[in-house]
Amino acid sequence: MSTTLYWIQGGGCGGDTWSFLNAESPDLTELFDILSIEPLWHPSLSALDLKSKEKLDRRILSGEQSLDILCVEGSVLQGPSGSGLADTLQGKPKKDLIAALASKAQYVIAVGTCASYGGFGTDQETEATGMQFHKHSFGGFLGKRYRSKSGLPVINLPGCPCHNDILAGTLSMVINDVPLELNENHSPLDWYRIMVHQGCTRNEYHEYRVEEKQFGEKGCLFFYMGCQGPLVTGPCNKILWNRRSSKTRVGVPCFGCTHTDFPQQYPFFKTRNIEGIPIELPAGVSRAHYMAYKGMAAAAAPKRLIKRKSGI
Amino acid sequence: MHSKKNRVIPINRSEGDLEIHLEMENDRVVEARSVGTMYRGFENLLKGRAPLDGLVITPRICGICSTAQLKAAVKALDMIADVRIPDDAIRVRNLTLMTEQMQNDLRHAFLLFTPDFTSPAYREHPLFEEAVKRYRPLQGETVVHTIRETKKVIEIIAILGGQWPHSSFMVPGGVVSVPGQNDISQCRSLLANFRHWYERRVLGCSLARWAEVRTLEDLDIWLDEDEAHREGEVGFFIRFARETNLHELGKGHGNFICFGAFEKPGKSAMNRSENAPYLFPPGFFLDGQVAPFNQEKITEDVTFSHFESHGRPRHPYEETTVVEPPASDSEAYSWGKAPRYDGYPAETGPLAELVMASNPLIKGILDREGPSVFLRQLARLVRPTFLLPVMDCWLKETGVGNEIFYRKNEQQENGQGFGLIEAHRGALGHWVTLEHGKISQYQVITPTAWNASPRDANGIRGPWEEALIGTLVKNPEHPVEIGHTIRSFDPCMVCCVHTIRGHARRTTARIFC
Repeated sequence: MSTTLYWIQGGGCGGDTWSFLNAESPDLTELFDILSIEPLWHPSLSALDLKSKEKLDRRILSGEQSLDILCVEGSVLQGPSGSGLADTLQGKPKKDLIAALASKAQYVIAVGTCASYGGFGTDQETEATGMQFHKHSFGGFLGKRYRSKSGLPVINLPGCPCHNDILAGTLSMVINDVPLELNENHSPLDWYRIMVHQGCTRNEYHEYRVEEKQFGEKGCLFFYMGCQGPLVTGPCNKILWNRRSSKTRVGVPCFGCTHTDFPQQYPFFKTRNIEGIPIELPAGVSRAHYMAYKGMAAAAAPKRLIKRKSGI
Repeated sequence: MHSKKNRVIPINRSEGDLEIHLEMENDRVVEARSVGTMYRGFENLLKGRAPLDGLVITPRICGICSTAQLKAAVKALDMIADVRIPDDAIRVRNLTLMTEQMQNDLRHAFLLFTPDFTSPAYREHPLFEEAVKRYRPLQGETVVHTIRETKKVIEIIAILGGQWPHSSFMVPGGVVSVPGQNDISQCRSLLANFRHWYERRVLGCSLARWAEVRTLEDLDIWLDEDEAHREGEVGFFIRFARETNLHELGKGHGNFICFGAFEKPGKSAMNRSENAPYLFPPGFFLDGQVAPFNQEKITEDVTFSHFESHGRPRHPYEETTVVEPPASDSEAYSWGKAPRYDGYPAETGPLAELVMASNPLIKGILDREGPSVFLRQLARLVRPTFLLPVMDCWLKETGVGNEIFYRKNEQQENGQGFGLIEAHRGALGHWVTLEHGKISQYQVITPTAWNASPRDANGIRGPWEEALIGTLVKNPEHPVEIGHTIRSFDPCMVCCVHTIRGHARRTTARIFC
């Protein structure tokens, strides 16, 4: 039995699709073979003519064609003024089709932060929102009571973009009936309990509070450069990007793109701090202990690290 | 029988959604309007934010050209900071953008454009079966190869910039990364691997052999010369396209604009033979002549757009994006603005770049046959031949001298700057104004805004609207001609940052293509 998959794009940049194309071992086409996925529709990759596409939609909505997995990329645009006309399909608000398809799907997967929590445009005239969350509030487009046919709420795979491994892994677990444990923001714990910071090659700098104050200096980016690696969850530094690296490894601060409230309202590239100590400390840390630890750590910093001899 | 009807044609396999509204007479297009169907409001989202925030936010305009958006954003900030960029940073910025561009060109060609060759409209075409074998979505041999090879070459961006898509490694003054020779070696291997695939499978010959193809006659000789040439993707495309008369389809105005691509580092082995500051020079091409480019001549016209007008087209420093909701008595039909250069619409993309560079083959075909679907796609398919050797040279030179990738500079509270680059689809510009340490004005004109432009105050159509006029749709069930023409511009509607849906007027039929 094959598993049918329908991919719909709302208010997004297409980045989750292009990220998915980066999948390796198995690559995208191999993954579909292994999992017997039958892609019914993908707006960037399919070549159905209009009649066949309309027929497909009709058959899904009438129940004639089963829909196992609905992947949603991009936010649901409800504006302007609740009309949904900021994103239309042949003159009709696309949000209506998204809702109709969600009512038929066994599983709904929100691919990327925009689909999960709204992302860009949540406070704009486009009235962007996530499938079942509006930023950190549960509810979003489909509402708190929504459950897909499998009984699960929308599965959120945040990230800007969503890492291809996370999507491939989630598809595999869903299709193989492996239970998915979700966190409070409805993301699978398997990928969203690790902090972005874990596995960063700059961790030794962090350990001894050798901090970067200007670009390219090398050092930990947490105290001054706005890095959110110790604050948000995501496996960037475990599974790496494009099999090679991560933003924090090359000196780009983590912007917290898996966070429910991404993009933040305060400036990027700058840590908000009180007397040189970040306002937001790593999750669960006591401020007094942290300050004592950091003071001692800085005093214990080895010279080779201060002189950046590791070449990282 | 005389028949006049209106059609709305949604175009998928573009980056984002797009509909074309056509008026047809006897299956021939007599009027065309291009309409994006989504509005995301990125320019307004940037107002009031910190100066560097554009480096994080604008890459998210587009998932396939995020590095291009980043580069335009950083160049505007470089200008405001008045900082000179170290040579190695210029190399890293260009190398990552070039990598993204090759990825884009090949994914566009084989994942988005050529699947049209598998349409039932071509069932009788002598190369149909072969086309299906190569280009069937997600299964065709070329599709599978393209997916595999493009994602590998992208690793270069991850090594130099952290990840793809959506990194923010370029900052005013340079780049944040400091790649070592171990990193550079990996990049060189990845590039060599990609070049090998590109020569063997796409080009069907070495870059050196291809460089000798300078005329249409040379092209015929090259095709006859070797089976590998005919069977390569370029050869197959040429054979399919000439048989289908794609060189007569989708002409357009014949005006081109290019902002200049890949500024050269001050010291480079490459500079010995060429003194030009850019690999592809900036320019505006009108009536067969290239005029020097001056960004002050760019304006945005909103006569037929759903935005507040100020009585005249305005330069992007002055232009704002204020929605004026559609009214039934309004002539406006698009939420895209109409960018103009010196008052003229202009086509942009790989073809425009190669015209500005006076490439003998491309310019020669343009002079003989005019612009066309065939020529646009040919230019895109062979653009990597110009990038690959330069990339190899710059990679060899990266980090060898002083290893300076960033030059310290003061963040400015006030100022104005623009970042003009060549993205994969052509001319991309960001115009930024800072006041009191915040962004007070941000305008983006994307390549697709040029190509998908609506009419202006003089009633002059945008480039791809014009390119559709006169098109004969042979099989109304499968209007592949419309899809070919639009996709030959490599449309990117998610990039059309202030495009919102248009209302379908007098719709009598809707068809996919």
